[in-house]
Formats: sequence, structure tokens, C-alpha cells
Amino acid sequence: MWKVLFIIALAIYNCNAVLETDANTLVLLDNLAIRETHSIFFKSLQDRGFKLTYKLADDSSLLLSRYGEYLYKNVIIFAPSVEEFGGDISVERLAQFVDDGGNVLVAGSEKSGDALREFASECGFELDEENAAVIDHLHYDHNDEGDHTTILTSARNLIDSDVIVGKGNRQKDAAPLIYRGTGLIADKENPLVLKLLTAESTAYSYNPEASSVSDYPHAVGRGTLLIAALQARNNARVVFSGSLHFFSDATFTTAVQYAQSGVFHKQTGNRAVSESISQWVFGESGRLRVASVNHHKAGELLPPEQAYTITDPVVYTIAIEELVEGKWQAFKASDIQLEFVRIDPFVRTFLKQTSTGSYEAKFKIPDVYGVYQFKVDYDRIGYTHLYSTTQVSVRPLEHTQYERFIPSAFPYYTSAFSMMIGVFVFSFVFLHFKEETTVGKSAKEDKKSQ
Amino acid sequence: MNRTPKILNSKVAGYSSLITFAVLLIAWLAGFSSRLFAVIRFESIIHEFDPWFNYRATAYMVQHGWYKFLNWFDERAWYPLGRIVGGTVYPGLMITSGGIHYLLHMLNIPVHIRDICVFLAPVFSGLTSISTYLLTKELWSPGAGLFAASFIAIVPGYISRSVAGSYDNEGIAIFALQFTYFLWVRSVKTGSVFWSAAAALSYFYMVSAWGGYVFIINLIPLHVFVLLLMGRYSPRLLTSYSTFYILGLLFSMQIPFVGFQPIRTSEHMAAMGVFVLLMAVATLRHLQSVLSRNEFRKLFIVGGLLAGVLVFVAVVVLTMMGVVAPWSGRFYSLWDTGYAKIHIPIIASVSEHQPTTWFSFFFDLHILVCAFPVGVWYCIKQINDERVFVVLYAISAVYFAGVMVRLMLTLTPVVCMLAGVAFSGLLDVFLQEDASKRMGSIGHSPAETDEHEESLEKKTLYDKAGKLKHRTKHDPAHDNGISSNLKSIVILAVLMILMMFAVHCTWVTSNAYSSPSIVLAFHNSQDGSRNILDDFREAYYWLSQNTADDARIMSWWDYGYQIAGMANRTTLVDNNTWNNSHIALVGKAMSSTEEKSYEIMTSLDVDYVLVIFGGVIGYSGDDINKFLWMVRIAEGEHPKDIKESDYFTDRGEFRVDAEGAPALLNCLMYKLSYYRFGDLKLDYRGPSGYDRTRNAVIGNKDFDLTYLEEAYTTEHWLVRIYRVKKPFEFNRPSLKAKERHFPPTNFISRKNLKRRKGYIRNRPTVVKGKRTLK
Repeated sequence: MWKVLFIIALAIYNCNAVLETDANTLVLLDNLAIRETHSIFFKSLQDRGFKLTYKLADDSSLLLSRYGEYLYKNVIIFAPSVEEFGGDISVERLAQFVDDGGNVLVAGSEKSGDALREFASECGFELDEENAAVIDHLHYDHNDEGDHTTILTSARNLIDSDVIVGKGNRQKDAAPLIYRGTGLIADKENPLVLKLLTAESTAYSYNPEASSVSDYPHAVGRGTLLIAALQARNNARVVFSGSLHFFSDATFTTAVQYAQSGVFHKQTGNRAVSESISQWVFGESGRLRVASVNHHKAGELLPPEQAYTITDPVVYTIAIEELVEGKWQAFKASDIQLEFVRIDPFVRTFLKQTSTGSYEAKFKIPDVYGVYQFKVDYDRIGYTHLYSTTQVSVRPLEHTQYERFIPSAFPYYTSAFSMMIGVFVFSFVFLHFKEETTVGKSAKEDKKSQ
Repeated sequence: MNRTPKILNSKVAGYSSLITFAVLLIAWLAGFSSRLFAVIRFESIIHEFDPWFNYRATAYMVQHGWYKFLNWFDERAWYPLGRIVGGTVYPGLMITSGGIHYLLHMLNIPVHIRDICVFLAPVFSGLTSISTYLLTKELWSPGAGLFAASFIAIVPGYISRSVAGSYDNEGIAIFALQFTYFLWVRSVKTGSVFWSAAAALSYFYMVSAWGGYVFIINLIPLHVFVLLLMGRYSPRLLTSYSTFYILGLLFSMQIPFVGFQPIRTSEHMAAMGVFVLLMAVATLRHLQSVLSRNEFRKLFIVGGLLAGVLVFVAVVVLTMMGVVAPWSGRFYSLWDTGYAKIHIPIIASVSEHQPTTWFSFFFDLHILVCAFPVGVWYCIKQINDERVFVVLYAISAVYFAGVMVRLMLTLTPVVCMLAGVAFSGLLDVFLQEDASKRMGSIGHSPAETDEHEESLEKKTLYDKAGKLKHRTKHDPAHDNGISSNLKSIVILAVLMILMMFAVHCTWVTSNAYSSPSIVLAFHNSQDGSRNILDDFREAYYWLSQNTADDARIMSWWDYGYQIAGMANRTTLVDNNTWNNSHIALVGKAMSSTEEKSYEIMTSLDVDYVLVIFGGVIGYSGDDINKFLWMVRIAEGEHPKDIKESDYFTDRGEFRVDAEGAPALLNCLMYKLSYYRFGDLKLDYRGPSGYDRTRNAVIGNKDFDLTYLEEAYTTEHWLVRIYRVKKPFEFNRPSLKAKERHFPPTNFISRKNLKRRKGYIRNRPTVVKGKRTLK
């Protein structure tokens, strides 16, 4: 039978305990010049321990996996105009790579090639049509060349998640982000797509060379998505940026000034944001795991051998850890809930953090028998999906566990015992006095006969 | 061999007991052997559906002991509700075979519990024929008893539930039923507390064995009631009924599954009412003997009115307070045959709950069904206390058997008894005076034991006072009217009929009732060889070997017990159909589209789906043929989502071919049954995807499964198992080509085996000596 009654369905969980410091990363480039123009970004990755392998996107020797083992953990595609990947890599292989848990960072541009478009649609978003760029006639940089495509978007437009965009990067006084590239359109039905960065409400995505805006633009205002991300159900992460320029050394170092309002910032926010986004997409931040799950009856230490009994008080403990700078540490949050489910949740309660850092809930098992699951389903933007179920059986009372004497039955006990006593007394009387009476009778008869 | 009557009598008594013994032994042996067809043809296995649960429970009890069994909470059934087995089962069967197992092991006879389970019902059929003999002897005569015992040993109506391997409650319950009736009749006759206490004990065994005990607890009060109406009240009746009722009530409440039902449900109220009535009658009788006529009349009127009002108010109040439960659905369907079909499809869906066809009366009882009214007539003609009982038994059993096929089983014993009475009466007439003349010739006549014992038992009848009267009345007339030629013709005819009855019984047993139904056999039409289809066990074995130990398997409830018993996996619903809404949920999953049922299946944590598909071999009991019941049951609980009419064509037909209703062609059950079937060509001339069971080419041939994948299909496609994909297997919902704003360009790959280079548009070329623009 079930000695240990828990089945942790860590549905989608990267099993490596600590991020390998030498995480291999493949960088696919349009041309090798990009390596130089984006050197700050690459440098920051290398400083964090990533081993980058630069390849041209059409290189015929490209290889993603060998003998069923992936050679890389992450892929960066800074090759906007690639129409077809070289070597072993194709859009299907990349999609498979994501399904097998690999992370991908992609940057496009106004002239994105077919390969990127196909890969984007695999992940649930689309790049705007060819030559379309995000235009904002109110929020553009003073260095803009006149078509208002070098836009500035305030840090407020970043997604509200410190894990992804970094702490402090979203503050009011944070520097705006400079962006030049195409817009993205997200699949509205897809619940896994995250809108990391949107444009200002005055922006739209259209071909800047067009003489007039004849069709309605595909992306307008805040709906113009600049950077989008997908965290797949296996927690693989894909970030798609419409602009390769966003990650370049030029944007990292330049000063910005709103052309209209004249507000000046010494430096763009691009560098900080790119770094934290890259940390997130390559799984350095926002990763949670269940370290251990325990449950037992209050006052005991081990789970019951076979099943809980209805209305048992139960203690459930779960240790959740977060990856912080390469180390697993106890995760702190106040909004983790535990559900005790049998088709529907019978109990739903907040887990409280104990002094040891693990979370604990104490509750009384409902008065309904069945097969239940302790379920922790913690899904927050930026964090990996934490899902843990532990199946336990809850049995009804055994025949010996009912109350033996109940107050309402006292009349019956009285009647039963009085009957017993009565029978005893009667039989005593019957046995004892029978002889006397017969003797008396016989004596009388004797007299009569006499 | 001319002796004085006295010596003759003692001699005859010796013979008669020898013959009684021999006949009963032979009946037992014949009954036992004719139930072994299934074991000989196939193997010693448990049959069908319910027996698999009984077997599993018995094995559990033998392994873990009685108390563990009583407290057994089965988490593998009715996931995620679970089932308290100890409290929802009639444990008599398990205790009986467990007891036998224990006894044999005490005697160092190592028998596997499975063999005990397989052979329990045939062994008990012998006990049934003995108790039938005893009962008939009480009611009529030992001769009739021997007839009845021989009949019940081989009658198909009883064999249908008691062949070897059919390890079900009914197998032992019919014995308990007959034995209880015997003890009851005996106790009414004698008025002794001993016999009625014995009847209560036997009733206790019956309660522990089968839900059909309700029949006893209604028939016996009915008997008492009718006796009261007929003015046949006697102190004997008072003693026996009050003893039986009180003891029986207390005993029956000891069975956990029955619990407080005997004092709370309407089915048991009649017994209580009759008990009160009997007490009232007894009190009145007593008062009558004490009080004067005038006083008694006053008391009678006032007391009667008061009692009537009191009882009425009590019943109304108790019902309104919910103390007395209203009639259960199965009970209603006994009165109104259409009730179940309209209100409770789950009851109507069981084939054995269907009304009986006239054909099955003959099929199951053969000549007995003709002789039976004669027996009733004999009993009515010479009525006494116990014959009132058998007449009531006959009438009620006939009615119930007409309502439900399953209740044929309760009719069978009484038919055997009364047919025994009829044949015995017939031979009384036609052998009687021969018997007195040819006293000596009996010894050397080599005819069948049946008639031997017949003529012999007649002689014992001379001892009986009741019989003797009738004899003296009728004898002269018969002697005058019937020539010996006519007599021998009649006797020969009767013997022929009985012989044909025996032949029919054997034929029916062999052909209709001896299939284990988990192993199918069919005869090849070309070379006449016999093929065995073992697909069920193949599939269950696959499940037990290839799925996780805690895998949850969804199937229609028919297969729940078998999956649990053979594959030892968790099931969602099974043959213990106690939770209609859970079954309806499974029915809804089966009759919805794949997408919708995936939601239901994930909410129920389903890992595998198992369907039975007979289209390849032409097996008619498959899930598509049962499908309408799933729809109906689902509609009962989810009328907004499922409508039965959607699954019919406009002309009201249920068809699976291209003209079938779209709801049917796209539902999960259809897809699971016919997945990849469209590619299958069964023979060279026929079209592909031809369903042999429904004789049609299926209407939806090309489809793919999104949320499930085929895991296993047995050799003859009889059982198909699918794995339900987990949510995380749908890793990232990608945009489909249709949903995209910009349709994909038809990019043609330029890569080939040799040239693996990709393609970058506007690839910058290096121009030496110039700076890049940006």
C-alpha cells in the first residue's frame, strides 16, 4: 500500500538544483558586427558566468543538440533578418527546444525575416508587417531622424513585476527607455504571454515611409507591444523584442531627451532593464521550487500509514525555495494558499511562514470521506509556476471509533439493565419460592385428603 | 411379496427414506455438474461484472481478516469519492466463502479462495434443492418435494445465476430464501418459538446475503395479513409472527448496510403494520373473552377509531419529519414499469431491470410454467394456513417476474414447487390404484427414480390424515373412469415431457448461461473451429503492467469492477451504482466533444480512458450500443449541456454512418471507438471503416485526437485504451495559421542534404576601407 502518501506532481520543473555557472548559450547573429555593437549586453552575460558561442544564423554547421542531448541551455537570436537558419536549426527545432525546457531571447527589427515570424507565432505573438515601425509623434528622442521612430517609453510601461524588470527600474523617476523597431501583436487568447513593455498611449505601429495612414494600424497606443514574453507551461521562457537596437551599446550609453517636453535624462533605462530581463529569461531570477512537502496529524510526526480519518486535525508543511544569485533560499510571500481538494476545494487557507522558512497550515479535515489532494498552486507573474499536489485518503470512522454510550440512548440502557435485573430477580423468586408454594399446596392437599 | 400391512409399512418407510436420500443426492450432483459447463469449456475463472467485486472483496477479507474488511475504505473505487466497502455490501457471500476457506485450511486442505468462489454457487444449488424439498414437503407431500427438488436443481431460471464462476449474492440467497420460507411455514404449522426463532436466524443469513430479503419481509407479513382476513387467526400465528418479526428486525439491523432501514424505510413498514395489527387482533380476542358483549362493542368502536386516527397521524408526521424515507426508485419501478425509464435512466439502463418477455418465461422454466398454474389450483382447492403462503408467494413472484427480468429468479423456486405439486397430483391420479394393485412390481421396475419415488411416496401418503380424505373421496370415480391403457399413455406422455424438460435445461445451460463474458468464444464459419477472444483480460493485464500504480481509469461503469479486480487500478465509477451524479459526469464526458470532456477529465484527474468497441468482430455489447444510456444519464443531471435529441438524426434514428447526427459523430465516445478505424479494411471487397456490429460505414473517418493519445488496442480491437494528456503537455498555445494577422509567406526551404547553409536577407557584405553608417 502507500507507505508514503505523497505524489509530488511537480508538473513542470527544471530538475537541476543550481543553475550551472557555465550555462552554454548559443548566440545567433545576422553578422558578426552585432557582437561588437552589443558588446555591453554580451559582456554582462559573460560576467554572470554564461559561456557564449557566437554563430552566424545561416551557418551551415549550426547544431542544437547532439545524440539527444542539448548542447546549449539558452539561445539568443540577434538576427532579425534571417529567413532560414542554417545547419540543424529550424523553427520546428527551436520550438522543440522550448518544449524541452530551453530559454530563448529573440530580437527582431522593422525588417524581420520569415524565420522569426514563424517562431513568434509558435510562441503566441506576431511581428507587425514588414517595414512597419513603432511611431510616436509626442514621445520621441531628440536625436530622432524625423520619422519619429526612435521613441521613448516611460518606465511606467514596464510590466508590474520586479522579478522580471528588476527592482527600482519601474519607479516614477526612472529613466525612460529608448526603442526603435517594430511592434508586436500578442494572441489575446493565450494566457501565457506576458506584456513586458508597451509603448506610450500616443504610439502606433505603421510603415513610416508611407505617405498617409490608409489602413488602421495593427497596434495602437498602449496596445503596441514592444517586448513580449512567454513562460511556457514547462517554465521555459521566451522573450521577444521588436527591436534589436534596444539591447545595443548605443542605447545603453546615450543620454535621452524628450523632443517635445525637453525632459532630460543622463542615461536611458535600457541597460538595467535589459540586464534584468536577460536574468529572467535565462532563469537566474524568478525561479521557485518545492523543497519538501510534509503532512501529518496534529501531534504526530509522520503521515498516517493508510488514511486520515474524517475530522482529524492535520498539519501541512511545504518548503518553498527561490533561486537568488545562484543559491536556493527560502521564499518569502504572504499570499500562498493551500487547497484541500476533492473535485472542489473543501478547505482553502493561507499558508503561514514559520521560523524555519517553510510554510505551514493547520486545519481540520472536513467531515466527508474520499480521496483528497493537498494542492498548492502558486502562479504569479514572473515566477515559475509552482504546483504541488499530494494525494491522501480520508476514511470514515471505524466501527470502534464511534461513541459507545450516547446520552440519548439512556432510556434504552435503563430498560435493558432493568430487564436483566428483573429477569434475575424473577428467576430467583421463581426458583426460591416454588418449592414453598408446592410444599404448602401439597400440605393442604395432604390435609384435604386427610 | 404378500406381507401384512404393518410389515409393509415399515419396509416402505425404509425404502422411502432411502429413495428420498438418493433422489436428493442425485439432484445435488446433477445440479452441480450441469453448472460446470463454463469451467470445462473455458477455465475456472470468475464471470461477468459483479462477481469480480465479490471476489475482490472476499480475497481482501481472507487476506486481512474480518474487521479490516468491515472497515475497508476502498480508495480505488469511485475516485475521488471512495467507497466504504464494509458498510455498502451484503457480507453474507464473503463470509460464507471465507468461512469455507477457513474451515478447509483448518483441515489442511489448501484450496485457493478463487476456486471456492467459483464453485460456491453450484454447491449451494444442492442446498437449495434440499430446502426446496423440505418446503414442498411441508406444503404438500414428500413426493411433490422430491419433484420440486429435482426441478430446481436443473431449472435454467436458477442456473442463470448460479453457474460455476458466477459468484454472486443470488447464488446463496435463493437457498437462504427457501430455507427461511421452510422454517416459517414450519413455525406457522407448529406455533413453536423454536421454529420461528430458527426462521429469524435464517432470515438473518438472507439479509446478510442479498437485498432481496425485502421480498421475505413483505411476503411473510402479507401471509399473516391474509390469514387474518380469512379469519384464520390462531395463537400459533401470534407466537410465530411476533417472535419472527422482533428477532428478525433486530438481526437484520446488525448488517451495516441495512442499518436502520428496517424501521425507517417504507419498504419495511408493512411488516411493522402487520405486527401492530396482529397485536391488536390478539388483544381484541382476549378482551372478547373477558368482557361482556355490550362493553366489548363500545370499546371496539371507540378504540378502533382512536387507533386508526393515531396510526394515520403517526405515519404522516413521521414521513413529514423525514424519519420514514419515501419509497426508493427501484421500488417504484416495480409498480410502474415506465417509471424508471422516465425518471431514473440508470436503473432502466441495466438490462436485467427490463420487463420480462413472454419468451423468457418459457426459456427459463419450460414445461414448469405450464404445470405451475395447476399447482396453484391444487393449493387453492385444498387451502390451509401454509398453502395460503405458497399461493401468495406464487402470485407476487409472478407479478414481479413480469416487471423485471432479474426477478425471474424469485419466481423460479415457487414455480418448481408448484409444478412439483402438479406433477405429483397428476401421478397421484394416474398411478394411484396401480400402486395398490401392483405393490410387488415396484421393486423390479427399472424406470427412472423420479417415478419410483413418486409411486413410493404415495404409499407414505396413506399415513397422512389430510391426504387420506381426499383419496377416499376421489378414488372410486377414478377407478371407474380411467382405463389402464389411458393411464400408461398419460404416464408415458408425462415422462416424455419431463425428459424433454431435462434436455431443454441442459441445452439452455450449455448455450445461454455458461459464458463467462470476459472470455468470448465464437465458431469460425469456415472450418467450424472454436476461437477464443481474450481481449478483456489482455487489456486489463496491459493496464496492470504498463500504467502507474495510482493511475485513474475512466470507463463506463460496467467495467469498473473488472478493472479494479483484474487490473487493480483506480476507477471512477463501477457497478455499484450508488452515485448517480458521478456516473452522469462520466456520461457527460463521454458524450461531449473532446475539448469539453477534457475539462471534465482533468478535473477528475483521469489518466486513461477505456472503451469497449465491437465493430471489428461484431460484438454487440459495446459502448456505442450502450451510448444512448450514457447520454440519457448525463442529460438527467446536466440537461443544459446534453440533449438526447442531438444524438439522433432528424428522422429519429441512431446511426453512426455519414448521416448520423453531428453531435454523435464528434463526441468523445465516437472518436475513441472509431479512432483510426477509418483506415481499417476488414476484408478485401468491403469498404474501409465498416462497422460489423452496426453494419454501416462510419461517418467520421478522418480525425485526430488532440487531448488524448492511443495507448493500447487489443488484438480484436475489443478494448481500446487511451492516455489523457496532461495540461503541461500543451506547453505553449501557438497561433494557428488562420488566427494570424499576417498569413505565413510560402517560404520554400533552400536547404538540402548537402547544402546546410541558411539564408539571411540583405546580408551585409564587407567593403574594405569604409565605415559603417551607424
